[in-house]
Amino acid sequence: MVEEAGGIRVRVREFGGGVREVSLRHGVSVSELIKSLGYIIEEYVVTVNGTIVTEDYLVNDGDEVVIYPVVSGG
Amino acid sequence: MANCSICGKQAVYIVKSGGLALCKKHFLEYFDRKVRRTIRKNKLFNKNDHIVIAVSGGKDSLSLLHYVVNLSRRAKMGWRITALTIDEGISGYRDYTIKRVKELSSTLGVELKIASFKEYFSYTLDEVVKISREKGLPYLPCTYCGVFRRYLLNKVSREIGGTVLATAHHLDDVVQTYLINIFSNNWSNIYKLTPSLTSIHKLFVRRVKPFYEVLEKETTLYAILNGLYPSERAECPYAPLSFRWQVRKVLNYLEESRPGLKYSTMRSLMEATSLKNVASSEAMTCRVCGEPSSHEVCKACQLRAELGLLEVRG
Repeated sequence: MVEEAGGIRVRVREFGGGVREVSLRHGVSVSELIKSLGYIIEEYVVTVNGTIVTEDYLVNDGDEVVIYPVVSGG
Repeated sequence: MANCSICGKQAVYIVKSGGLALCKKHFLEYFDRKVRRTIRKNKLFNKNDHIVIAVSGGKDSLSLLHYVVNLSRRAKMGWRITALTIDEGISGYRDYTIKRVKELSSTLGVELKIASFKEYFSYTLDEVVKISREKGLPYLPCTYCGVFRRYLLNKVSREIGGTVLATAHHLDDVVQTYLINIFSNNWSNIYKLTPSLTSIHKLFVRRVKPFYEVLEKETTLYAILNGLYPSERAECPYAPLSFRWQVRKVLNYLEESRPGLKYSTMRSLMEATSLKNVASSEAMTCRVCGEPSSHEVCKACQLRAELGLLEVRG
């Protein structure tokens, strides 16, 4: 599990969905964060503080993460 | 954090199969190279073509419209471009996506034609689904939508003088369709899964897929980087009911653990289609409506007959 008390906290917003605050250990990558939320990295493009990042990007305390679904119906 | 393998700036994308990291500028160049290669290799567009672009208002089709209009300005091939939107009549969904198509067409200065199921078939998709359920017919909404939409895209493209119809099907779509047809052992459909589909039928408008070799993740990134990603999430309420939805999930899980799997599946498809050089479709004429068809009565007329919306004799 990447979620851990005493680590860092980031806000995660799924595009078109709600916002949640997540506690993580230090040194967690975007890829690990997405996996811990139960998602597949293949299905999302991620921004941190408004900038598109690759999945190896390490999130920091207070980061605002937005995940954009790649998969759309219709 | 990965840096661009070319210029060292912060990367926005990693090409896993090629071990490359790309910044915004180099990702857009990579995207452009890939699409132009598909267009050139498969001769998708000719000089002075009237290109009709099927635009639903989703990120993929908005990206295709944006891409082709910009390519047209650079290529100077004398293309005329028209955006074509099919309004299936799905309440709470299509109205919103049509608004996006109108906005982008107007920004790009492109003509827009909207054709609806209601206008051509007298019923919206919502009404068709309701009748189908009442009659206990075994079809999912996506079956009606797919058949009727393809039918109208061809018919209306022809009516407005289009010489080629471009759709935003990307590599993920194509690979999903390939697998779905393998599962149902439908090889005649597999042989049609080429970047360009023609027919000897004079009423069939050549159909092309410029994003054939582009991943869905790449079209999404193209959309975000060009400000085309929808500002609100609008999803077809029927989409999660389809088998395609499940296949897509499985493929994405597999791709995560085996990067490059989608490309290798695509190569398998190319191998299959090259074995039988049948990039043609719908050579017969439907005896009910007169449109190109693979059967004596086209699928759109068959479905309407089963719904009780059309009388087919004989």
